[in-house]
Amino acid sequence: MNPIIVFDNVHFTYPGDELESLCGVSLSIEKGSFVAVLGHNGSGKSTLAKHMNAILVPDEGRITVCGTDTADEEKVLDVRRRVGMVFQNPDNQIVANVVEEDVAFAPENLGVEPAEIRRRVDAALRLVGMYEYRLHAPHLLSGGQKQRVAIAGIIAMQPEIIVLDEPTAMLDPQGRKEVVDTVYSLCRAKGMTVVFITHHMDECIDADRLIVMAGMELEGEPLGVSDCAELIADSLSKERSVS
Amino acid sequence: MLKDITLGQYFPGNTVVHKLDPRTKILLVIVYIVGLFQANGWAGYAAVTGFTCLCTALSKIRPSAMFKGVKPMLFIIALTALLNIFYTQGTPILPGWIITWEGIARAVQMMLRIVLLISGTFLLTYTTSPIALTDGLELLLNPLKKLKVPVHEMTMMMSMALRFIPTLISETDKIMSAQKARGADFETGSLVKRAKALLPILVPLFVSAFKRADELAVAMESRCYHGGEGRTRMKQLRYQTRDRIALAVGTVFLALMFVLKRFGL
Repeated sequence: MNPIIVFDNVHFTYPGDELESLCGVSLSIEKGSFVAVLGHNGSGKSTLAKHMNAILVPDEGRITVCGTDTADEEKVLDVRRRVGMVFQNPDNQIVANVVEEDVAFAPENLGVEPAEIRRRVDAALRLVGMYEYRLHAPHLLSGGQKQRVAIAGIIAMQPEIIVLDEPTAMLDPQGRKEVVDTVYSLCRAKGMTVVFITHHMDECIDADRLIVMAGMELEGEPLGVSDCAELIADSLSKERSVS
Repeated sequence: MLKDITLGQYFPGNTVVHKLDPRTKILLVIVYIVGLFQANGWAGYAAVTGFTCLCTALSKIRPSAMFKGVKPMLFIIALTALLNIFYTQGTPILPGWIITWEGIARAVQMMLRIVLLISGTFLLTYTTSPIALTDGLELLLNPLKKLKVPVHEMTMMMSMALRFIPTLISETDKIMSAQKARGADFETGSLVKRAKALLPILVPLFVSAFKRADELAVAMESRCYHGGEGRTRMKQLRYQTRDRIALAVGTVFLALMFVLKRFGL
C-alpha cells in the first residue's frame, strides 16, 4: 500500500448552491495505478478531479497529495506540479499558437532552465507521438492530436499523477483511441499514476480500479478489475432494457 | 467568408525574416511606419513598395496571403480613394470636370499608403509567433515595469487574444451555420434588419467566450501559472548578426525616406 492521493471525509458545496457536490468522500489512490472514474452528469466527477490539484479545496475534511495538504496555500504550486490535469476541451487549455511553445508553458511557469525546458518539451512530445508536429499551429490539428499536445504539456511539468477529466468526450473514435492508448502507456510504461474520468465503459476495461460516482458520493466500495467486466455487462443490459 | 480573416495569424517558416529577433522586427515595423508616412512623392512610394516586396520575398509569404489581409479593408481603401479623387484641387482631366490629375495621383498614393501599412504590419504577425511577439514586446517595454506598469499581464492578454482569434472565428462560423439551418437570414434585407439578425449570433458567441475564458483560466492555473514572477523562457532572445544587419538596413531605409522627403520626391 502506497497511497499518493488521500481523500478523508471530503465535503464540498459550490458557492450559491444548496446541494453538496461532494458529501463525505473518502478514498485513496495507489501510486502507479490506473484509476477510472465513472458517473453520470452532475455526479461530481469534475469536482472530485478539481480537488486533486487544489483548484478547489474542501469545505470540510482533508485531502493530501504526496503527504501535502491541498488546503495549504503556501504549497499550492507544489501540489499542482505533482498533479497534472487534462481537461475535456483541448481548445480551451492550449495557450500558445505553436505546439512546442504550448508544451513549454508549464515548465516556464515553474522557472525551469531554458536548456532543460527544451529537453523536457522534446521528450514529452516524443512520448505522445507528436514530435513531428512541434512547429504546427494547434488549431489546425485534429481533436485527438490536440488532446495529445495537451497531455504533453502536462508531462513536461514532470508530474507524479495525471488527472484527465473526460479527455475523450469531444473526440471521434480515432482520436479517442489515440488518447486512451497514450494514457495507458504513460501508466504502464512510465509508472505514472493516472486518474481517468470518462463516460465510455470500453476505456475502463484495463483500469486497475473503477470508482463510480453516484448522487454526489462514492457508490459503495471502489471496484476491482474483476468487477469491471460485470459492471460493463450490467450497464449494457440496462441500456438494452431502456431502449 | 469568415475563413478569410487572417488577422493575427502566424505562418510558421524557417526564413531569415522568421528567424529575426522579435524585438528587431517590432522596431523595424515602427521604423517602417515612420518611413512610410514620410513618403509624399512617387520616388518615396516606390522606395517603400520596393522595401515591402523585398521583405515579403525574403519571408516567402505567398502574395495571396498578403492580399487576404488587405481584403477586409478594401471598402475603406476604395472610400479613401474616391474622396481623394473628388476633393483634391488642381487641373481637371477634361475642362469642366471635377476630377483632377492631382486627385487621381493622390488617390493612388493614399491607396498605396494603406495597403503598404497593412502589409507591413501583417508581415510582422505572419512571421512571428504570438508568444515570440509578446516576449519581444515585454522585453522592449521592460523599463516601464519600474513605473508599475503591468507589462507582463498586458502582453499575456495580447498573446491570448491572438491565440483565440482562429478558435472564435470557427465558433462564429458554427453558430451562423446552426442559425442558418433554422432559417435565419443574414444576407438580405435592410442594414438594420441584417444588424438585428446578428444578435442571435453575438449572444451565444459571448456566452461561450466567457465559458472558454473560465476553463482557460483553470487550465492555466493547473499548469502552475502564477503571473510573470519567476517565469523563464524556453527560447531565450539574443541579438545576432542578422538582427544587427536588419536594424542597419532599417536605419538606411529611414534615412533614405527622410532624404526623399526633404527633396519632395
